[in-house]
Parts: sequence; C-alpha cells; structure tokens
Amino acid sequence: MSDTPILELTGITKQFPGVKALSDVHFDVRPGEVHALLGENGAGKSTLIKVLSGVHKPDTGTILLDGKAVSFNNPREAQDAGIATIYQELSLYPELTVAENIFMGHAPRNRFGAVDWNAMMTRAEETLASLNIYDMDVRRKVGSLNVGNRQRVEIAKALSINARVLIMDEPTAALTESDVSRLFDIVRLLCERNVAIIYISHRLQEVFELADRVTVLRDGHFIDTQQVKDTTESALISRMVGRTIDNLFPKLESKVGEPVLQVRDLMREPFTRGVSFDLHAGEIVGLAGLVGSGRSELAQCLFGMLPAQSGEIRVFGKKVSIRNPAHAIKLGIAYVPEDRGTQGLVRAMSIRENTSMAILKLMSTGGFIKFGAEKKLAQKSIDMLNIRAYSPDQIVGKLSGGNQQKVVVSKWLASQPKILIVDEPTRGVDVGAKAEIHRLMSELAAKQGIAILMISSELPEILGMSDRVMVMREGRIIAEYPRAEVTQERIAGAMMAAKVDVN
Amino acid sequence: MTAIDPIVQHHERRNAIITRLLAQETILLVLTVIAVLVLASANERFLTARNLSREISLIFEVALIALPMTLIIITGGIDLSVGSIFGLSAIVLGFLWQDSGWPLEVAIAAALVCGIIGGAINGFFIVRVGVPPLITTLATLALYRGVALGISEARSARGFPDWFLGIGRGEFLGAPWQIWILLIGIVITWLLLSRTIFGRSLYAMGNNELAARFAGIPVNRNKWLIYVFSGFAAALAAVVFVSRVTTTRSDMGSGMELDAIAAVVLGGTSIFGGSGGIGGTLLGLILIQVLKNGLLLAGVRGDATSILIGIVLIAAILLNNFFQWLQVRLTANK
Amino acid sequence: MASLSGTASVTKTANRRVRATSWVTQESVLAISIIVLGLVVSLINPNFVSATNISNILNNSSYIAIAAIGMSMVIISGNIDISVGALIGLLATIGGRLAVGAADGGYWIGWAYIIPLCVGVLIEGVIGFIVAYLRVPAIVVSLGMTSILRGGLILWTGGEWIYDLPRDFMLAQQQVLGVPVPVIFMVILTIIAGLWLRYSPAGRSIYAVGGNKEAARLSGISEKRVLMQVFMLNGLMVGFAAMMFATQFSAIQSTVPSGLELLIITAAVVGGVSILGGTGTVIGSTFGALLIHVIPNAMIFANISQYWQQAVQGVLILFTVLVDLYRRRRQSYGRK
Repeated sequence: MSDTPILELTGITKQFPGVKALSDVHFDVRPGEVHALLGENGAGKSTLIKVLSGVHKPDTGTILLDGKAVSFNNPREAQDAGIATIYQELSLYPELTVAENIFMGHAPRNRFGAVDWNAMMTRAEETLASLNIYDMDVRRKVGSLNVGNRQRVEIAKALSINARVLIMDEPTAALTESDVSRLFDIVRLLCERNVAIIYISHRLQEVFELADRVTVLRDGHFIDTQQVKDTTESALISRMVGRTIDNLFPKLESKVGEPVLQVRDLMREPFTRGVSFDLHAGEIVGLAGLVGSGRSELAQCLFGMLPAQSGEIRVFGKKVSIRNPAHAIKLGIAYVPEDRGTQGLVRAMSIRENTSMAILKLMSTGGFIKFGAEKKLAQKSIDMLNIRAYSPDQIVGKLSGGNQQKVVVSKWLASQPKILIVDEPTRGVDVGAKAEIHRLMSELAAKQGIAILMISSELPEILGMSDRVMVMREGRIIAEYPRAEVTQERIAGAMMAAKVDVN
Repeated sequence: MTAIDPIVQHHERRNAIITRLLAQETILLVLTVIAVLVLASANERFLTARNLSREISLIFEVALIALPMTLIIITGGIDLSVGSIFGLSAIVLGFLWQDSGWPLEVAIAAALVCGIIGGAINGFFIVRVGVPPLITTLATLALYRGVALGISEARSARGFPDWFLGIGRGEFLGAPWQIWILLIGIVITWLLLSRTIFGRSLYAMGNNELAARFAGIPVNRNKWLIYVFSGFAAALAAVVFVSRVTTTRSDMGSGMELDAIAAVVLGGTSIFGGSGGIGGTLLGLILIQVLKNGLLLAGVRGDATSILIGIVLIAAILLNNFFQWLQVRLTANK
Repeated sequence: MASLSGTASVTKTANRRVRATSWVTQESVLAISIIVLGLVVSLINPNFVSATNISNILNNSSYIAIAAIGMSMVIISGNIDISVGALIGLLATIGGRLAVGAADGGYWIGWAYIIPLCVGVLIEGVIGFIVAYLRVPAIVVSLGMTSILRGGLILWTGGEWIYDLPRDFMLAQQQVLGVPVPVIFMVILTIIAGLWLRYSPAGRSIYAVGGNKEAARLSGISEKRVLMQVFMLNGLMVGFAAMMFATQFSAIQSTVPSGLELLIITAAVVGGVSILGGTGTVIGSTFGALLIHVIPNAMIFANISQYWQQAVQGVLILFTVLVDLYRRRRQSYGRK
C-alpha cells in the first residue's frame, strides 16, 4: 500500500433544493487500501459516491486524481478516469448475457467497427478468471444468475474498464455467507493489485474485517478519518450518531405464557422442509440462519403468501390451514416483511393510507371507508411510534428509512396481532431508530404478551433481543438455545455446521 | 407530531395547496371551461339543452367504457379488447334474436353475459397465467373481433321492435336514457374508487402490487373484477348503441379502446398506474366532446377535430410535466 | 459442504435446463410452427405449398414485417408506438399524390418515394423528441399522434381515393428474378436491421436502454440519443412499409387502415419481443408477421370459413405468446 492518495477530495459541498447533502467533506483513498465509509442513512454517503462517480457535480471543492484536479461531467468520464462503482441496486441487464453485461458500452470491435462477439466472450472469460471465477458461463443470461453471481459480474464489469478506484455500496446487503467470504477474497485480491477500494456498509464487523481506514460522515459533515486498528465499534457508533446510545437492545424481562403458535412438520417445497416449533405468548424468538436458509419463506408460509403443502399449524390450539395473508391477519398473525420498499410499503401513498391497509375491513362500514377513524389511527401510530411527520397525510416515500420502517410496523400493530413475525426489522435503519424499534418490540412482548418471531441476519440483534434462539438451515430448524445458553459462536457454528460435516 | 416545527408545518400546508393547484385535473378544468366559454360565445346554439343532451348520447359508449378503463389503468393494467367485446356483444344480441329466434330480452341478457365472459377470460390470462394485460388484451382484441366476424358472417340484424329502439333514442324524465345510465355508472364508479376499500385497494395495487398482497388485499380477485366490469360495461354500451343505430355489424366499436384510453389519460390518470380518478376521466371526455362539437358548429369538418384532440392530449401531459417541475421548484425548502 | 453443494446442484440443474432449452428460441418455435402448419395444410390441399401461394403469403406479409422491424426496435427500447398505422396511411397518400403529380407535372418519380420516407423519419423524430426529451410516455404521445395524423389525413384528402397512379409507381408489383420486390425489401431490411441490432454498438445500446435504463446511463449510454435514433429508424421502416402498402394495388385508399398498428405490434410480440423491453430480435418479428399471414391463408386452403379466420388468428396469437412466456419462465432464475 502506498501513502500517496490516488484520489483526493477536499472541501466538497453539494446542495440540493431544500437540503445541504454535503458540506466541506474531505476524503482520500490510496492504492491497495480498503477505505470504509460510514454514516447513518442520510449522512451523505450516497451523495459522496455520486460525486465521485460523476453522477453529481459538486458545488464547491476539488477532486484530485493522481494529484491533478479533475471534474466529471457524467458517469462515463469518471469511468474513463478509472473510477468504477458497484451500486446497491445492481445495474445489470437481466435479458443480456454475462459477457455483454461486462462489456456494455465498451465492447470489443472488429476492424469493421462491429461488435466482436467472439473476442467479447473470450475477454469476459479472462476477466472472470483473473478474479478466480471459473464457474460462470459467460453466455448465460444474467437474469438466470443468483445474487452472488450477479455481483461478481458487476465486479468483472468494473475490472473490464481497468478501474483503479472501485466503489462498493453495501455489497453484502443481499449476499449469503458463502458469497460474502468469496467477495472478501476478491476484494483482497484487488488490493494486492493496487486497486483502491471505497467500501460502504452498515455492518461494522465487516469494516473491522476488511478495511484499513474508516471515514465517518454525519448529516453531510465530515467527522473524521481513522486507522481501523485504532478505533472500536462503540466509538464508531457514537461518532455516526453524534451521541452515545446507552442501550441498543433494551430487553425487558418477559413472562412466557401459553403456546400461541404450534407448527408441526410444515412443508412447502423447496424452502420449507418439515419445520416444527412452538411460539409462546410474551416471548421473542430469534430465528437465525444464512440468507437462503428458508427463514423468510417459513414466515411467508405461516403468513399465507406461500401456503403450506402439508404439516400442521395450530393457532391458540386450534388447527388452521392458512391460505392467504387476509386469512392470517384474521387469525391474529402479522408479518413485517424483509424488504420495506417492495413488500412493506406503498411509498406513493400517505401514512394514513398505509397504516390502515391491512385492516381496511375494520376501518369501514359496508365497504365504505371511515376516513375519520382512519385518520385517528394514523395519528395514534405517529404518536406511539414517534414517527417524524407533520401530518397523517404525508406521503410515506418522503420519510427517512427509519420512519418508513416505523410506518410498516405501525401498519401491522394496527391489526392488533397476537403473533408478530418481523423479518429483518432494522435493516437499513439508522442506529437511533434501531434502538426505538427494539424498545417497542420488547414492550409489545413484555407488556402486551404478544408472541414475536424475529428473523435477523445481525447476530448482535438476535442475541440482544431473543428469549430463545432457533437456527435454520436448508429449510429445517436444526438448533435451539434458551437465552441463557446462547452465544455468537454457537449460532454461527450451527448456521455453518453443514459445511463442516461434508468437508 | 413531536418535534415538528410549526414553520415547517405551515410550509408543508402551502406545498400541499400548490400541489393541488397544479394537478392535472385543475389544468383540465381550466382548459374545459375556457373551451366552453369560447365556443358558447361564438355560437349560441352550443349551450342549449338540446345540443348538450345530444352530445351526451354521442359520447355515451366511450364514456361508459372509460369508467372501468380508469379503474384498470389505475391498477397499472390496460384493456385493449373493449372495442372487440363491444362488437361481439352487438353481434351476439342480433344473432340470437334474429337467427336463433330467442326473445329479445333474453338475447340482451346473453349479450351482457357475453361481455362478462369476455372480461373474465381476460382476467383469467392476466391473473392465473400471468400474461401482461397489454398482451392479453391485444390477443383477445383479435380473438373477440374474430368470433364476432365468425358468428355474423358479415350479415347484420335489423328490424328491432320499437320498445328496444326506445332505449337508444327515447327519453326519460326529459333526458335521453343514456344520460341516466351514464349517471348511475359514474356515481357507482366514483363511489367505488374514492370511498370504498375496493377503490383504495386498486390504488395500492397500482403503486405496489407486492406490498398490497402482503397487506392481505385480494389482488387477484380485484383484477378479475375490474376486467369483468370492463367487459360488462362494453356489452352494456353495445346494447344501447345497437338500439340507437338500429342495426348490428361485426366491426362496431373498433378503435373505441383508443378513444377511451385517450380520455382516461387526458384526465390525468397515470398510464403507469397508481394515481388518477373518475373526475379527471369525465373532464377528459367532456373536453374531447366539447372540442368536437364546438368545431363542428363552427363549421370545421368533423374528422379534422381529432387533430386538435391529439394535440390537446399531448399538450395536457406536457403541461402537467411542466407544472410538476414548477411544483418541485416552488415547494423546495429554503 | 452440504449447503454449498446444495446450491451448486441447484445451479447445475438450472444450467442443464438452460442449455437444453437454449436452442428453443421464439424464432425457432415460430419457424417450426410455420413449417408444421404448412405440412398439415398441404396434406389437405397441396396447392398451399405451390410457388404462387408461397410468394403470395410472403408478398402480403412484407409490409407488416417491415413495419414490425421498426416496432421491434421501439419495443426493445422499452417504448411502444401506436401511431404507425396512421402514419402508414399518411405516407402512402403522400407517395400516391406525389406520384400522380410526377406523372402530370414532370418532376422525377423518385420524389414520390423519397419524400414519404423523410416525412416518416421526421414525424417519428418528433415523437422521439417528445418521449426522450420532454418525458411523456410513448404510449400517450403516439396515441395523440394517431389522432393528429388520422384527422390531418382526412382533412387533407377528404377521404378521396387516389386512382390514376402512374405505372412506374408500382414498385410492389414488380419482380426481380421472379421474386416480388416487397419480399426482397423484407428480407434485406430484416437482415440489415438484424445485423445492426446485434453487431453495432448503437444497436446494443437499444437493448441496454430497454433492459435497464439506469444501468445504461451509468455505462455512459445516452438514453435520449438512443431513443431519438430508435424512433427515427422506426419512421424509416414505416416509410418503407408505406411504400410497399401504397404500391401494391392500382389505387390508394386515403383513409388509415384501422387496426394496422395492433397487427404490427402483434407481429413483434408473437416474434418474441418482450413488451417489457430489453429483449427480442427482428428475425423473430418477421417470422411473427409471416405466421399471422400464413394462418388466414392456410384456412382458405383448408376450406375453413373465411369468417372464422380472425378468431383462429386470435387463438394462435394467444398461444404463441403463452409459449414464449412459458419458455422465458423456465429459463429465468428463482421465479415461480
């Protein structure tokens, strides 16, 4: 790793109508290093990336590339300068082949100026091979690849333009554990080749595992840059939030009551393969497992989105067969889905319309909506969950991520569930809102006796909030620990155990 | 309402007002009023009850079809087959009555059922098979028209009894039957869309279908219903139309789908779904007909008015885009 | 590595499935359907596969096929154009009038071909401009344009037919080496457009814009320029189609053939061009145009009442679209 920065930003300011997204931000990255960029949602990370990659032009400030001032008018110019970006929403063409995705916009040409398909295939294979990827058919359509493979295509695409600076925006958000470790290997490989990497992630462990330096942004301001080895997780959190969060996991003692949900041999191929467990009133059960282990599918099976093929579900002792979400809601089951943007919210509609969506029947007489009752419900939700909004009629899409998540939660609380399934309840939510959502869950279980099944990929959250932890793998529950006995190692061990078994 | 600055709140209220003022419906209302005023001052025959009620019976068919079309477009779908369902229902009516000798009342009922079945087939392919609505209804557009052609073999039915012809040409309480049917249709659709769970569900589906499913909204059932509704409206319009023109032909109603879609889109319903309403569609219909009629009275050839309608359609959306841009400018926080 | 090998085996089966079905493209499905249909009908009536009839089918489908080339590009780019039917009517009339004028006034007959082509490009350019730069959805712009063109045409001609067309304006009735000119145009334009779409960077950009607009922008592809290009090329194709349409008979009906645009869109969709954009080929759309003409023709030879032709056509369109949908589902990952 060299000490002279390849890319250096000084005094960057960017103003949008109504918001100052960046003010006087400094940032630099050196060849062969991984520089992590941290900050809560809305801290200005995305804007900074967009300035770097030529999507936005800064109002003031300079960008130095190899010590020379540059200015990018569009993404193409940044790419030509060797800066490649892998965005959170992967920017691929599902209907086109791997090779073509890698070379879109700069395909190899033959002497007539036409796209040289054979050269493109060969060079795509070479590029993938240079990343130690040998198991991908460059002729396959990207739409038929899984998320991990798609991301590898993205990285290959960045390399194909000889990127010297690679920006990765939350690259692990949707990856399985094995894909994550493969990604880390690739990142280290790139570092050895002196590529500078800017790494954005919400997962602090990854920062400590991978990064050399870390820069924190807050409310568009530059806070500081430090060597990773000189800092700690809690120090980073307090700098991101600007205050100390006393307790991220305010768990209350709860009285565990009667079983409210009993599941036996639940089957829904291919993801749910004979699941059995009990859920009791007043307890929070953490459901851990790798992405792809079938956790969300189990939840959706219980919620009637993917109705069970066989097996038995008892709600309050009564045998039921849940056919659709409306039926599940009627039985007192609520599901806060994993992806708030596509599954949880109708962003273009108001808070009022969103909070009442799951209980429209209760909010109406003879099919006609009672607008007064609806408004009261929304106002109650805003007050109870401390949603930052000026009116129940505010459009949900204009709220921050944390507040949007609170709207989703309030929608499901409105249905007065006895059984609440939450799927990644704090993904993409900033630390402050995270603590609030945890407090709420804790109170719902302890004070109202609601049974909560919490799916989470964050082990600290599982450990901090659960009365009991179940671990899922390949569509089955393979381990269970009471709160007193659970440790991070045990869960991780159980999640991965199968790999050890076979090797 | 914690920690919200009253100044911000005031600001947001002001923004809400600006948003409403710059909505497509408002633009359209202003355009319509201007058009009416100009035409009324140019020609005294324009604002007469006789002229107006005649106009309404002329737009009746397209208007009736545009009502469910609004619901469909709000969910992000489209129904191109309505013109063909219209033609098929007309043919079924004439065929069963004249060739098969069914009582006319039963033939009418059969024509309506035929529209319902047509809509249900669309719904089946869209909901159960998962074919995009544009493609499904493009195919059934050809199919239904083909069936109509096949049944009719290019013959037409004539000589309907007087009581039947009264539907399309007679009056009730001093106004054509069409006005009453349309009025009922408008009130029902408007209530459905703006006041009921069903209407709310349609908006939710148009904006985010998956989230609507997760919220327990019966998305599939609702889709079936709107396409069936659309088929029924087309069939009903066809029955009234046959009564007005006193004959049936298999090419009746071709191109009607585009007229209805034009009115809906002109009325501010987004072609991508999720927003819009019956009020806008009505304004769209009225503006189109006012232009047609006004220009006709002013001596411009009837067909030529469609130039103006095309321009208005594009201009209205352009204006809407411009106002939205303006709105972003005006409502930005300082 | 159970979990890994689990995924690996899933991937492997998926791989195998994709490989096994990779030759099953919509193009091959269509080609096979056309051949099978031809064989079956020729058993009933051998005249179906006579040279005259085959040339007849090709000839009749050529202008739809040529227009469908342009339409395919528009749909691949993620847009749609409803106005092509009206535009064909307008351009045919312009061509006809100019041809009559050329016969009387003594200017070169070539203008009767060149000017309609230019007008086609110009009008589609306007549509492209409104779509690309002013951000109005293409379906709305072209709907409005349909209305304008239809009205304009009637205002201009008063609905009169054009009769005394000069002999040298009969391009579509000529033959070169026994092959009708429209067929030659259809084949050549399909090949050129097919090569251009596959091998030129500009052609690939159309797939990029239609497949993922945002990604295209980030790859430095200018969406606006691509859309302008697509619509103007569509205008050119519509121009060629209009010339074939105008010169096939000795008179031109100055009204717009109704439903023509839907027939053209149908040809593209049946040919496997996804209405959602980003995929499809013009070989497919040309086969699609052929199929929708083969069917009614086959029915005549199979002695099925001509009145039921369109119904059967509708069923077959629905069927090919379903086959396409099923094929796509089998080849995509993780969808139910």
